[in-house]
Amino acid sequence: MVGFGDYIRKAREALAETDPRFSLRQVAQRIDVEPAYLSKVERGLVPPPSEATIVRLAADLNEDADVLLAMAGKVSSDLQAIILRRPKQFAELIRQLKNAPNHAIVKVVREVRDGNW
Amino acid sequence: MITLERDSLVFRFPEVHEQAQTEVNFQRTLRIPDNGKHYPLPPGLGTFSLKHLEDFADRVPEDWRERGGVMMPLYQTEAMWLSFCGSSRRHAYPFALKIAAGKINAVSGKSWQPGLDASKHDYIVVPEQPWLDGFCVAKDVVRQFVAMPLGSGYSVEEQITGRPEHGGLQIIAYPMKKERYEELARRRAQERELAGAVRMYMSDGVGAVMRSRACAAAPARAMGLAAGGRMRQQIYADPYGIDAWDQSVSSRCFVTLVDSVQWQEITGEQPASRPLTASDYSKAGLPWFDYYAEAETLAGAKELALVKSVAELAAEKGEQVLGPDGEVEPGNVVQLGPKTPAKSKPVREGRL
Repeated sequence: MVGFGDYIRKAREALAETDPRFSLRQVAQRIDVEPAYLSKVERGLVPPPSEATIVRLAADLNEDADVLLAMAGKVSSDLQAIILRRPKQFAELIRQLKNAPNHAIVKVVREVRDGNW
Repeated sequence: MITLERDSLVFRFPEVHEQAQTEVNFQRTLRIPDNGKHYPLPPGLGTFSLKHLEDFADRVPEDWRERGGVMMPLYQTEAMWLSFCGSSRRHAYPFALKIAAGKINAVSGKSWQPGLDASKHDYIVVPEQPWLDGFCVAKDVVRQFVAMPLGSGYSVEEQITGRPEHGGLQIIAYPMKKERYEELARRRAQERELAGAVRMYMSDGVGAVMRSRACAAAPARAMGLAAGGRMRQQIYADPYGIDAWDQSVSSRCFVTLVDSVQWQEITGEQPASRPLTASDYSKAGLPWFDYYAEAETLAGAKELALVKSVAELAAEKGEQVLGPDGEVEPGNVVQLGPKTPAKSKPVREGRL
């Protein structure tokens, strides 16, 4: 499995190929961390940053914040709050779905109800 | 199927294609002056909150419950635009979308009908059309979507039909046919390969666009969309042709617009504060936007061109509904276009 640092470095470098604003320095500046720190994160020399920094990084690199958080071994605080409200039911739901194919998971997502109009 | 994910409506058609997915969200923005001038595109100041209407079934009127869908808070005279961004805009699965306000088509000015009508140009195509900021009143000109209480006579619906019946926004999505998409995906892959080869020889990133990164008596509390100031926006004609769309499937959603003042009573959540004025934004030198693509654009609807704007109607009625616009000179206009680098999307974001 690709590590968090390696994944974000590849994602950033792919964007930097066509847009110089994705240099290490400029990305670090936009997400409010030191370039040296981001460099260490990318090389896996330090643990992944905080949830807030990962969310800013995901937005900057046009990546999914939940995916990056999961790669960093974290669960977003809004998801934690949801699970904590009904921990038993959500834990069981996730276990039941662990091997389900993507299309089956999509089917359990709540749909917006259409009515008469 | 439609799901509500992080204040975006996500339309998926797994029965057509695994990739058949698109997103619509609603952006808060400045209300541009309604003074006859044509303005560039105002920024996005964050998405409006969306809630499943059925979650508040005991606190909303019966007719709202019947039509289902979602609800969203807007202040009176607040402006908005629809964003059709996906996670990877240029390579997104194409969809034909019909957008209506008060069941009046925002592009053709006709009353709501299911199905696509190429002769009436009553739909837009995404990802080619990244945003829709208002009613298409003339070629490359829209009048901004501005919320007004249903029943006050200002909404486009009331002006065209004479009745404050529906309000809100209506969206229906039709995916591209599977075989057409697969053909398109092959062509896109070839183009990407070619572009990659060209980049090997052109280290200066030609074609890259610098961009800013970062939708009788009225029922109580319902809002409709009226026509605001004019802005420059191209509404693109269908580049694929009517046969490209799979009209055997569709998903639709009614977005009920709720007065922000009542939003808290219904949901228990505070709505966002009012956005800053166009004058203050402009004085701060913050960016406005122009989006231009070399593609055929629609001429604008006669029915919509005849609609009176909020300012025009207020003047006729002798009512004071809009605050003073102040001086608005959009000096800092960022040019955006479709030739953005792969895996990125042009974003209209106001940095505050």
